[in-house]
Amino acid sequence: MENSTKKKRVDETQPFVKKENEMPRRIFTKKMVGLGIFSSLVAVSTAQLVSAWLDGGFHQREDLADALKVLVKTYGNTRPYPHKFNDALVKALLRNLDFAVRHGLEKEWADHEADVLGAVFERHINPAIKKTGRKDFFLWGIFERTSCSYQLYEHIDVKDGERTFPCPYKPILEEIQKGLGTYKITWNDVCEKWCRLRWEAFARKAGGVKFKVEPGETCRVYTL
Amino acid sequence: MTELTRRDFGKETLKWGGALSVLTVLNFPEVVLAFENAMLKNPFLQRDDIEYALKSLYTTYDTTSPYPHKFNETLTKTHLRAVELFIKKKGLANKYVAHYITTMEPLLARIKKHIEKEGGDKGLEGMFEGTTCSYQLFERINIKPGERSFPCPYKEVLGHIDKWLGTFTIKWEDVCNNWCIPTWSGFAKKMGIKVAVQPGDECHVKLV
Repeated sequence: MENSTKKKRVDETQPFVKKENEMPRRIFTKKMVGLGIFSSLVAVSTAQLVSAWLDGGFHQREDLADALKVLVKTYGNTRPYPHKFNDALVKALLRNLDFAVRHGLEKEWADHEADVLGAVFERHINPAIKKTGRKDFFLWGIFERTSCSYQLYEHIDVKDGERTFPCPYKPILEEIQKGLGTYKITWNDVCEKWCRLRWEAFARKAGGVKFKVEPGETCRVYTL
Repeated sequence: MTELTRRDFGKETLKWGGALSVLTVLNFPEVVLAFENAMLKNPFLQRDDIEYALKSLYTTYDTTSPYPHKFNETLTKTHLRAVELFIKKKGLANKYVAHYITTMEPLLARIKKHIEKEGGDKGLEGMFEGTTCSYQLFERINIKPGERSFPCPYKEVLGHIDKWLGTFTIKWEDVCNNWCIPTWSGFAKKMGIKVAVQPGDECHVKLV
């Protein structure tokens, strides 16, 4: 304490010498204000991109009771296997793929999803990639940003330019084949004729973003 | 004032306090055991993967712009998208519905056996509150003997899609007439029962 006071006193007694790289507080403040305005502009323009996602409305919701009841009912349903929040969605996607594959429509089915979501790419994902130059916005847009993914994958691990998540299809397809045995598709069909085709269709909508998929129980998607 | 020697106090305590304690101990374990059994037998309380479900739920319900999202958002959209492509654009309504019914046949056959023993209501249970495919789709299902009713999830989401994406051509009636009604009627037929559907904001399905 004594030392710092002493040091300060000493400094105050030193003659003011302007160094080359030194910036007076006033100029520094001016620059910071300028930078702040620029940041605000960026924030304002990207705010639209991130709207509709985690906007803090949870506490105002009055329809949580139904959702919680469904959650409790789902997780209380453990026979013949422990059901999860994505059970019906995964089953619907598998059933639609089984139908599409039987009729040779898998490519059209995958492209159709990208087509109907075209506006999302035009309004949000593509401008974000263009403004920032970051291809990660492609992954952001098709994974953690959309209910189509966060209601499908149990969790999504986010790294810059890479997403990994547990495959929701494999365990449910196995259960369906064990309990019903009526589907023609295999897990490999799901990876190649649904996931890959769908993400490729999305990538085309996003201006041809290049990416790779490593399918597995934990699936990995990363931009190139 | 009555004086109590230490010896008498000990005796009294053992006599009344001890008897009370014994009674309590005899009664209490049943309550504790019942509670413990309920805890152990309750499948929900045994799950250790609820964290993921809660996070998904929070993410969903914290998303209120441009419209409030619900737990059935993606499932509803998936059904609508299939109706749009396979039924409306490709004209494969009959084949699409038949595929669903055919792939569910083993399960429908099992439910049919229950219906034969316990009555047609088992069929409605199997189609609605008894399957994730329905209770994860409908916000709530009202149960009456021989009847189920639930808010239609499609109308609202289709409205959102029309407003925010504008890329669907199907109408709400297409969903009712080409998807819901034929599917439920087809399931019912396979189970040996008949149902009547009254579509609406609140949809009713009744045994006939």
